[in-house]
Amino acid sequence: MRLLEYEAKQLLTKAGLTIPHSQLLELGDPLSSVITPVILKSQVPIGGRGKLGGVQIVRDPKKLKTTIGKLFSLDIKGFLPSKLLAEEVIDIDREFYISFNINREQGQIELLASKDGGVEIEEQDNTTFFRQVVDPRSFDALCIDLAEHLKLNEKSFLLQDVVSQLYRCFINNDCLLLEINPLILTKQGSIVAGDAKITVDDTAIFRHPDWQFEDNSADHNFVVLDHEGTVATIANGAGLAMATVDAITAKGLIPANFLDIGGTATPEKILSCFQSIMKLPNIKVIIINIFGGIVRCDDVATAIITAQQQIPHLPRLAVRLTGNREAEARHLLAKHDITLQQNLEAILGDIS
Amino acid sequence: MTPQHFLAKNIIVQGITGKNGSFHTQNMLSYGTNIIAGTSRRDVTKFGNVPVYKTIKQIQQTYSIDISVIFVPAPHAKTAIFEAIDARIPLIVCITEGVPVHDMLKIKQRLATSSSILIGPNCPGVLIPGVHNLGIIPANLSTPGDTAIVSRSGTLTYEAMNLLSAAGFGQRYIIGIGGDMVRGSSFIDCLQLFQNDPTVKRIVMIGEIGGTGETTAATYIKQNINKPVYAYIAGLSAPTGVQMGHAGAILGTNTLEYANAKRQALEKAGAHTAESISRLVSLIS
Repeated sequence: MRLLEYEAKQLLTKAGLTIPHSQLLELGDPLSSVITPVILKSQVPIGGRGKLGGVQIVRDPKKLKTTIGKLFSLDIKGFLPSKLLAEEVIDIDREFYISFNINREQGQIELLASKDGGVEIEEQDNTTFFRQVVDPRSFDALCIDLAEHLKLNEKSFLLQDVVSQLYRCFINNDCLLLEINPLILTKQGSIVAGDAKITVDDTAIFRHPDWQFEDNSADHNFVVLDHEGTVATIANGAGLAMATVDAITAKGLIPANFLDIGGTATPEKILSCFQSIMKLPNIKVIIINIFGGIVRCDDVATAIITAQQQIPHLPRLAVRLTGNREAEARHLLAKHDITLQQNLEAILGDIS
Repeated sequence: MTPQHFLAKNIIVQGITGKNGSFHTQNMLSYGTNIIAGTSRRDVTKFGNVPVYKTIKQIQQTYSIDISVIFVPAPHAKTAIFEAIDARIPLIVCITEGVPVHDMLKIKQRLATSSSILIGPNCPGVLIPGVHNLGIIPANLSTPGDTAIVSRSGTLTYEAMNLLSAAGFGQRYIIGIGGDMVRGSSFIDCLQLFQNDPTVKRIVMIGEIGGTGETTAATYIKQNINKPVYAYIAGLSAPTGVQMGHAGAILGTNTLEYANAKRQALEKAGAHTAESISRLVSLIS
C-alpha cells in the first residue's frame, strides 16, 4: 500500500525525523492560518506530480485561494486530491536523495543515496549512486561511508541520527520502500525530509492495528490495463492471468484487464468478476481461461451459468476450462449453448 | 540442495488441522506420501491415522524428520519456519500465502547460518511424480519421467505438467519456488539440483516479471548447465508500477525486470524460449 505524503511524514515524525512545518488542508477549510510564502502540495499517490503542476509555491497571499482551488480540481493521472499539504518554504543549502528498499535477490535491506537529490532523480545514472545492503552490526561504518559519498563529512553525526531514524521507521512499519527526495540540508544546518514516499507491506497489516491510511491500494487481483480495451479476461492464478493477457496482446487485440480469481471459483466470485468487467465500456468478448488443478472445472461451469443467468447483456463468452472434471464441465456448458474451447490459441483464432 | 533432500521419506505437516492443511494432507496421503506426524495448536492427537503433536520437538522424541510441509496461517508462518529450522529439518516447504516481507528477511538470515533448505513461501510446493507430493500440486496431471520443472507460478506449472504428460514427457521434479518478492530458494538453486541429478534430462523454467532472478539464472545457465533448458516468462504486456496478482510480480524502473529482457537473456544463454507454455512444450523433442 502506497501512503500519501502527509501519511508518510506522520510516520517519519513518529520516528524522530524533522519535517517542514505544515498543515493539512481540505476543500473549503478556512485559510486564515496559512502563512505565505507557502508550498502547496497535492496529496495524490503518484510520483512526478511536481512536473504535472501538483506542487505550487504561493508568495502573494491574494493568490492563495485561487491556487488552492486549482490544485483541488487538478486531476493527476486519474487522481484528484482530497487534501493539500501546505508547507513552509525551506532555505535550501543542498538536496540529497536517500532511500531504503528490499534487495529481492539477496533478501536484505538496501540503502540507496545520491548527493544530487531533487525532481530529476530518475534521469540520473544510478550506477553512480551510493548502494549498500544494511548490516545493523556495522551501521556506524555505513553512515561514515555515506557521509563521505554525500560530501557531508562535517555533518556525519547528524546524518547518522537521520539514517538510523529512517532505518528504524523502515523496520517498525514493515516498509517495502522508504524514499526521501529531497533530503534537505538547510542553510541553518539542519537536515529535513522535504518529500517522502513510503510503501508498506499489506500482508503485515495484522500486526499494525494503528494503520489507518487513506486506502489508495489497488486491487492486485483485478487490474484495468486499458479502459477502452475490447477483450476482458478472467483466469485463475497470477501466472495464467498474465499469460492470457500476453496472448491477447500478441494477437494484436487490446486486453482491457488482468483478473486472477485465485484458488476458488464460487458462483459469487465469478459473478463479482463479471460485474467488475461490465463497468468497462467497450468489451466485445470475455475470455475465461481456467486451469482446474485444485479447482474443479464443473464447479466453475456451474458458476459461469449462474452468473450468465443473473447478468443481463453479458458480452460473448469464450471459455476454456481444462483439468479436473473437464468433461463434466463441457457437458454442463453445452446445455446452455456455451462451447468449451480446446485452448487459448483456439479462442484467439476464433475471435480475431 | 541434493536429490536426497527431496526423496527422503519421513515427512511432517505443520498446521495439519487447519482448513488448507487438512484438505491437502488428505490429498498428499492418498498419493502415497509418507506423512509420519503433524503439528497443530489445537487439542487434537490424531488426524486420521496420523499422530498430531503440539511441537516438532515432541515428534522428534519418536521420529527423525526429513521434510516439513507448512500450511500455518501467514501471521504464524515465521514462527513455524523458525521452529523447523531450529529442529534442523533438512527440507522445509512453506505453502502459506501472505508472509510479510520483513519476516522473510529474518528467515533468510536464519537460513544463512543453517543447513535447512526452504522452498516457498506462497508456492504450490514440490511434487516428485511416483514418489510423493509435498504440497498442493495436482498430482493426477503428472507422470513420472525425466523432465524437471521450476516455476514462480502455480497454474502455469499445472499447464506445463499437463502438456508435458500429454506429449509423453514425464517429470522427475516439479518445484514451485513461489510468487513472493523474497523467497527461500531461487531458480539457480533448483537449476543446480537439476544439473547435478543424472535422472534429469531436460529443464522447464517458468518465470515472470519483477525481480532479476531469471536474468541471474540466465548467466548461471550459460556457465553451468549443459542440459536443454526451455523457458517461458509471463507478463510481456504488463504495465510498470502495477502489481499483477503475485506480490513479487511488479515492474519498477529497472528494465532487467521486464519479461522481454528476461526472455532475451535466457535466449542468449542458450535456453529455448516461446511466447506461450503450449508453444514451449511443442519445442521439446
